[in-house]
Amino acid sequence: MENKVKIARTQVNLTQQQLAEKIGVTRQTISLIEKGKYNPTLKLCLDICYAVNRTLDEVFWVERENS
Amino acid sequence: MKKITDERLVLQNLKNIRIAYIIQTVGILGILGYDLVTKGLDGMRENPLWLVFLIATIISAYLSMSISADHESNKIHPQKNLTISLVVLILISIVVGFFVSLTDGFTIINGVIMGSILFICGLIPIVYIYNLRKKRQDDNEE
Repeated sequence: MENKVKIARTQVNLTQQQLAEKIGVTRQTISLIEKGKYNPTLKLCLDICYAVNRTLDEVFWVERENS
Repeated sequence: MKKITDERLVLQNLKNIRIAYIIQTVGILGILGYDLVTKGLDGMRENPLWLVFLIATIISAYLSMSISADHESNKIHPQKNLTISLVVLILISIVVGFFVSLTDGFTIINGVIMGSILFICGLIPIVYIYNLRKKRQDDNEE
């Protein structure tokens, strides 16, 4: 799942470790979410959005691919 | 030790437990199979692992009932299903009890006891799944 967590995180000057500590997960989880290799629950998505002061749309919205 | 709050790790932990469970079950089946070959069916049943295996299987069956209750289509009425199950169970209990009482060395009392044991054993899962379906129906109506 593609997302803009990395962009949003760097814009508020947080490292992966700092963001992870803020929302109570491990750094590895943040890394996997940024790479799109882990599908976070809605609750974790919301926590990330609160931490980077963005909305869900801004961080996680992706246009539907025309197949 | 700190409690794991990371949802990814919690999930991973559950998957690990599942692998361990599979290995454990394979091991138990292996030991029971060995007992079955060397000591026969009665020898295998004397092994306490047989009881462990039996209880684990029953619990797993009961737990998976709640999954199948959610999975099946919503058109089934719990009451109707309960009635059908009860009628079938009563018929089976009566038939088995009848044949037991006919068998040499068994009295009518034995047949009645056998039938009622069968009825009670069958009644528990039927009532359980009825409650699950009823609960799910109530959830749907909310």
